[in-house]
Amino acid sequence: MKTIVAITLKGIFRDKVFQGIMVTALMFLFIPIFASLSMRQVTELTITLSLSLISFILLLLSVFLGGTSLWKDIERRYTFSVLGLPLSRRSYLLGRFGGTALFVIIAASVLGIAAFCVVAYSSSIYPSDRPIVWGSMILCILFDALKYILLIAFAFLLSTVSTSFFLPVFGTIAMFVTGGVTQQVYEYIHSPASKTLSPFLKQTATALYYIIPNFGAFDLKLYAIYGLPLPANGLLMTSAYFVVYVGLLLSVSSSIFTRREMR
Amino acid sequence: MNAIETVSLSKQFTGKKRARVEALKQLDLQVAPGEVFGFLGPNGAGKSTTIKLIMGLLRPTSGSASIMGMDVAQAASRRVVGFLPENPAFYDYLSAEEYIRFVGSQFNMDASLLNRRTEEVLKRLDLWEARKRQMRGYSKGMVQRVGLAQTLVHDPEVYILDEPMSGLDPIGRALVKEIILDLKKRGKCVFFSTHITDDVEKVCDRVGVIVQGQLRALDSVENIMRSGIEGYLVQTRQHVGNQAALQEFKAIRSNEQFVEYLVPVAQFQEFMALVGESSVEITLLETKRRDLEAFFLDIVENGKSA
Amino acid sequence: MVKTVFATLACLVLYGILIVPFTEYLHNRPFDEKMGYIPSVTALRIVAADHKELVAASLVSKVLMYFGGLSVKNENDILPILPDYKRMSGILHGAVKLDPYNMDAYYFAQSFLTWDVKQYKLANDLLDYGMKYRTWDWMLPFFAGFNSAYFMKDYPKAAEYYKRAGELSGSELHFSLAGRYMQESGQTELAISYLSAMEKGERNPAVKKNYQIRLSAFKEAHRIELARDKYRQERKAEPATVEQLVRAGYLTPAPVDPYGGTFYLTPDGKVATTSKFAFGGKKDNSQNDGESHERN
Ligand SMILES: Nc1ncnc2c1ncn2[C@@H]1O[C@H](COP(=O)(O)OP(=O)(O)OP(=O)(O)O)[C@@H](O)[C@H]1O
Ligand SMILES: [Mg+2]
Repeated sequence: MKTIVAITLKGIFRDKVFQGIMVTALMFLFIPIFASLSMRQVTELTITLSLSLISFILLLLSVFLGGTSLWKDIERRYTFSVLGLPLSRRSYLLGRFGGTALFVIIAASVLGIAAFCVVAYSSSIYPSDRPIVWGSMILCILFDALKYILLIAFAFLLSTVSTSFFLPVFGTIAMFVTGGVTQQVYEYIHSPASKTLSPFLKQTATALYYIIPNFGAFDLKLYAIYGLPLPANGLLMTSAYFVVYVGLLLSVSSSIFTRREMR
Repeated sequence: MNAIETVSLSKQFTGKKRARVEALKQLDLQVAPGEVFGFLGPNGAGKSTTIKLIMGLLRPTSGSASIMGMDVAQAASRRVVGFLPENPAFYDYLSAEEYIRFVGSQFNMDASLLNRRTEEVLKRLDLWEARKRQMRGYSKGMVQRVGLAQTLVHDPEVYILDEPMSGLDPIGRALVKEIILDLKKRGKCVFFSTHITDDVEKVCDRVGVIVQGQLRALDSVENIMRSGIEGYLVQTRQHVGNQAALQEFKAIRSNEQFVEYLVPVAQFQEFMALVGESSVEITLLETKRRDLEAFFLDIVENGKSA
Repeated sequence: MVKTVFATLACLVLYGILIVPFTEYLHNRPFDEKMGYIPSVTALRIVAADHKELVAASLVSKVLMYFGGLSVKNENDILPILPDYKRMSGILHGAVKLDPYNMDAYYFAQSFLTWDVKQYKLANDLLDYGMKYRTWDWMLPFFAGFNSAYFMKDYPKAAEYYKRAGELSGSELHFSLAGRYMQESGQTELAISYLSAMEKGERNPAVKKNYQIRLSAFKEAHRIELARDKYRQERKAEPATVEQLVRAGYLTPAPVDPYGGTFYLTPDGKVATTSKFAFGGKKDNSQNDGESHERN
């Protein structure tokens, strides 16, 4: 499995994905200029823009790497040669997933360092009233990465049942959007404002709320931007949620993939 | 214990609109260790299907298969196999050397052995010059060579090769034959599919012919060759001895120097006795047989009509 | 090959012809079109996903850029264009719903909701909302205190806000302001000190300019007040008009209202201006809902 992780990483790097990220990351250079338009919160705006840029790049990575990784292997017939080796389907899938997840972490780290430089530069020119909590920023980027790793696990699940890349790619995007609003929908449904809705609709929505991944919990941007105290308990719970949910997705994926026929 | 064994192995594909294809029907096959087995069949006969089933890439509709006594559903059954898929494709962002090393590492080879074996197989398959280049720049034949190299690197007991000669130039084909003969000498089991009867004739111990998913013939090459003897071509010198004594055998050719007869196997003894009595001088004796190609074509024709 | 080159050249030429009017068109589009359609906040929350802070910031910056663009235009025009304050306020309210911590939104809303739009209640409600989140920020109560005292004449409330600002900033100034706003006198001076502080800290050129204009108007008003007081002291009489002060030599040079209005003295001796310290004030008198635009 370790070798599959290594091979996957090598593949991503050799496909010049990293260079692509670096080109996109050039946008970091414009962040201080844009942020200086802010009247009262240049640093906060710099952090906002940096974190959003990172988040955006990681989203693209997870959708395209996660959604096409298995599909490409099957489409290009790599699976015939690789799965003919004494390697269980499960370790193959986990290796592929591990490599992709690791790449997301590497990309997040590199982008995080770039973001730190930009924020440090911005705040040295326009000192901010709020203290910059670097630890919160690191945690924010880390949880962002975790969120996208969860999304990748989801993309892998879709890849194991699909023969084309449409389902994994578009399904992953749809899941990202749904997972982002599920908390709000849940809260709306359990508020007096939703009295007029039919009970069936409410129950369906509540059921979906428990099934669909909840990405809202992973968003720590507000804490990082305004240096608010982090909810330690919540973070612990979110981490546990991450582990359990990813574990679930991967075990379902591997059992499907193990049964899948390589035609 | 058989190196490869299938027990009423069947595979049915369900295509779109529930169209069913019976790609393989009740295949019973045993291949012994140290045996070179040729798997012959026309296009779409079910050769690749069989091989994919044996490699665990497809799940049988019914029946089972095992390698060295281990069921193919287990990944461990592939520990003793070198597998070459049909029209292989390998991670094209890797170089041949990296890929061979990757394969070696999957078989838990230790580093120094892997180094040595990698160099050996790359040189043997004439990939040494290109070993550092990414495989996306390789020609079809080069990829095929990588495919063969990666079956050899860990020196397994069983080789399962789906059309090992395809895409290779004559030098490459000769090389593959040489490699297979070499493996045979070292007591390895080789199971390979092909359309080319000549290859089978030269290297195989046994051959199986599959047509439309059904095994139509299974025999040793020796037997087939022997049963294929149609008669003997006998050439005698003209005007020597009493040619008239051989009158009941019709001459197929006759000129100033020679007279040629085609003698069926059953009458050969009688013919030779007459030759002795009439002091006819034999200048050439040749066995006349149908080759494997004809044998194969016959089976395919019968199979189709059946 | 020749054909492709020709086609490319032709396209380039066409592009060159088109780009000038195209840019011109986009440049002159009215605000509504320029802002594009801004969906409801609920919709935005959903679309923004985990980028609410970014979307909020971009809404604020849209409003800011629009405002900046207008003030540049006003520089060149004789007749100033009135910004669409209502819409600006709506968008800023939407922004703080997405990101209740966004200081730019509160700050910018404060800068126009009071003097220009005279929506004091709206301004303070917004500030109250912000105070629930930005619990460390002294500026929000500072603004609210100013609005309460200066515009709404609610002195107990103002004192409360200033006390809070003082506690948060630890600055003596805010505590003393809390005291000073208990009385109605000296408001012009206090407005000047508020505006000077705001102007100094401002980096956005358009907003800074806004403060500078208001500051200079108040400075002029203050000059008239000083002249009036001197006139009273020396002549022991009330001046009837501003012109009288000018002619008597108490006021040189003559005061100029940067908003284009004319200063005058009210019957009870306060300094006032026909512009009501806002652009367009002359045109639209109906906006004078209960605000005292007069200075003592
Ligand atoms: N994935 C699939 N779905 C449906 N039918 C299939 C599939 N793969 C193979 N078949 C069918 O199974 C039969 C056997 O195919 P197979 O690939 O085993 O033939 P083959 O003997 O390897 O032929 P070739 O010499 O052309 O490689 C064919 O009729 C083919 O159409
Ligand atoms: Mg085949």
